[in-house]
Amino acid sequence: MAEAEEVEELLEELRRTVEARRAQGFYPAGLEDDLSAHFRRIVMHRSAPDLSRLDASMERLRAVPGLSPDRIPSDSGVPGGPALHRGLARLLGRQTQGILEQVEELAAALRAVADELSWAVRQASTHVHTDLIAQIDTLQDRLSALERQPAGDAGPMALAELSRRLERLETAEEARKFRPSYSADDFESAFRGSEYDLKSRYRDLAARLLDCSPVLDIGCGRGEFMELLAEEGVTSSGIELDEELAEAGRQRGLDISPGDGLRDLATRADQSLGGLVLIQVVEHLTAPELLNLVSLAADKLRPGGRAVIETVNPQSLYVFARAFYLDPTHDRPVHPGYLTFLFRQAGFTGIEIDWRSPPPAEEVLQPVGEPGADANYERLNQLLFGPQDYALIATR
Amino acid sequence: MQINQVMVSARPGDAVTTSALELRGLLRRIGRSEIFARYVHESLHHDVWELKDSDWLASESPEDDMIVFHASIGEPAVDAFLAGRPERLVVYYHNISPPELFYEYDPNLAGLLESGRRELVRLADRATMAVAVSEYNAAELTAMGYRNVRVSPLITDPQRLAGLEPPPAMQQWLGALEGPVIVFVGQLLPHKRPDFLLESFHVLTTYLQRPATLVLVGNHRLSRLSKALGDLTRELNLDRVIMTGAVTDPELAGWYGRADAFVTASEHEGFCVPPLEAMAHDVPVVARRFAALPETIGDAGVLLDPESGPVQMAEAIFRVLTDAALRAELIERGRRRVRAYDALAARTSLLRHLVEAAA
Repeated sequence: MAEAEEVEELLEELRRTVEARRAQGFYPAGLEDDLSAHFRRIVMHRSAPDLSRLDASMERLRAVPGLSPDRIPSDSGVPGGPALHRGLARLLGRQTQGILEQVEELAAALRAVADELSWAVRQASTHVHTDLIAQIDTLQDRLSALERQPAGDAGPMALAELSRRLERLETAEEARKFRPSYSADDFESAFRGSEYDLKSRYRDLAARLLDCSPVLDIGCGRGEFMELLAEEGVTSSGIELDEELAEAGRQRGLDISPGDGLRDLATRADQSLGGLVLIQVVEHLTAPELLNLVSLAADKLRPGGRAVIETVNPQSLYVFARAFYLDPTHDRPVHPGYLTFLFRQAGFTGIEIDWRSPPPAEEVLQPVGEPGADANYERLNQLLFGPQDYALIATR
Repeated sequence: MQINQVMVSARPGDAVTTSALELRGLLRRIGRSEIFARYVHESLHHDVWELKDSDWLASESPEDDMIVFHASIGEPAVDAFLAGRPERLVVYYHNISPPELFYEYDPNLAGLLESGRRELVRLADRATMAVAVSEYNAAELTAMGYRNVRVSPLITDPQRLAGLEPPPAMQQWLGALEGPVIVFVGQLLPHKRPDFLLESFHVLTTYLQRPATLVLVGNHRLSRLSKALGDLTRELNLDRVIMTGAVTDPELAGWYGRADAFVTASEHEGFCVPPLEAMAHDVPVVARRFAALPETIGDAGVLLDPESGPVQMAEAIFRVLTDAALRAELIERGRRRVRAYDALAARTSLLRHLVEAAA
């Protein structure tokens, strides 16, 4: 063994030996891990204080026999002494007994105190003390972890990294937002029909909110439904996500604020609303938002208050062929059965569904005068050409 | 011109203190030279000044003087002291133990080790020169921003124990020990991994060789670690482990004299004197390839890979104890290594660096 390579050879040979012995089971599996874990356990272990001396003293105290005049020796080396002692004992017997009783009483009380103290010491030492030490250990560990951070430099660096990440998140979130180049106004006038059409379509729904002031209209657009409410003598306010639409409504003298309707609803006082209206809104909500809406409605409407929710009817396939996907911000249609279920669960009563906007008669399959075929057409019509919208009306 | 030395703590038997005393001997041949320490062990009060007495440093032209600072741990008082001194500064780096392993045993000490590294980084611009006792230390200094870094082996004399006889009672005891004796020398600190040695010894005596004795020679520095080591020894039933605590030089010579193998499982050393001392006593060395240990031991010992566990080390010790040819070769190489470590050369190299820094 004269070259460095030979040292390498020796090490290689040692490695092979260890591997071979492990394979033979000469060394138990996991031996090193067990040893190292064992040492970790020992290091982390904190022993409780030794109370054996206290235990021994308490044992001796308990073993002391009761007091008795019989245990006072009366023998004596002096002639006549024992007789004298016995005579004295007889003479002083009552006093001695009285003193002994008092001492016994005191001793019993002291024994009880000693027991209590012993118990208290044990409590303190086995629980409080070790717990405290363990807590101090933990605190020291955490403090050292803090101190381990290089002073000064890491703080700002970590902050910079955090704000970089935050910026990335914000950019991503920004990109996720739907920001069309057209205005909501353009979209509405292209597809939603004239203001006159809208009003005549919804006049009957507004009538369902008589005596329901004040009404909150979430997603009120330019406020056409609010105007219908005003015509019925019902006061209302509106929230509209699109600032341009909200502004257009305000210019018509309506109480409309731009903003997120759910967030606004959450800030209202409980039972402060008489009515809550969402027309063509819930199909824009995510499933959790819809849950949130129903539970907020239950909180914010006063007893007897009314929620009116109008939305597209997913039970009509015509809706998907014609209307639903025309609006790219539609998230998902809400099934009337599910919406009914949610409001019932939230404690609303008298829930009714008002089927609305049947497809134009000319698009519906016409009967051909053959009873068998017509029955089939009827079933197809129900599936394909069901009402395009429905309104759920629920009373708190 | 005077060259004085500053250190945090002066303790007998400590490698840093020993090297400072050696260096002072050299420097006093040139001129006045003192050692100042923040903490001075009572046995050294006649030899080492306390830092608070530093007005003794008064000099007509302090800018021409020099302070050699022995860096091995942090200490705010020393840091502040150095910051306020006008002398030229040479940092003599013994290495600072990695704090990570210390936190669970002594958070305060760990904090001092941590701050020691920070203080050292701050001194980089202030220092005229930095002297490292190993290439390993030099690399750390360079990474900390030191520009003028020199390597000069630690001033130590591996032969210093030659001729010392252990006390008669100890000789008797040593004679009565049955089987091979495996010796570790060093303070019981976490990075030296005394727990690893106990585990190796357990493997050795359970599966390979019995009886044998393991002797851990060195100060107990951390009560929690020492207690855990004691518990582990008892729980593994290692009735032939001896932890000596601090020993005198004759006792240390006695252990080296009786040793059949020297072992260390240390994971961090700036230089590590004991393997050289073991070689000077014809004792084969088994260690792990960590930090400056490969530099100090060279090809004169068995250097296990860092990832090797206690089983590997037990097997290596077993080989060293039982393979006569290997033993003979290691002992011969050890002798060569000790001869190659030229104490005089170490001294002149350090002096040359200091003179250059003073110029």
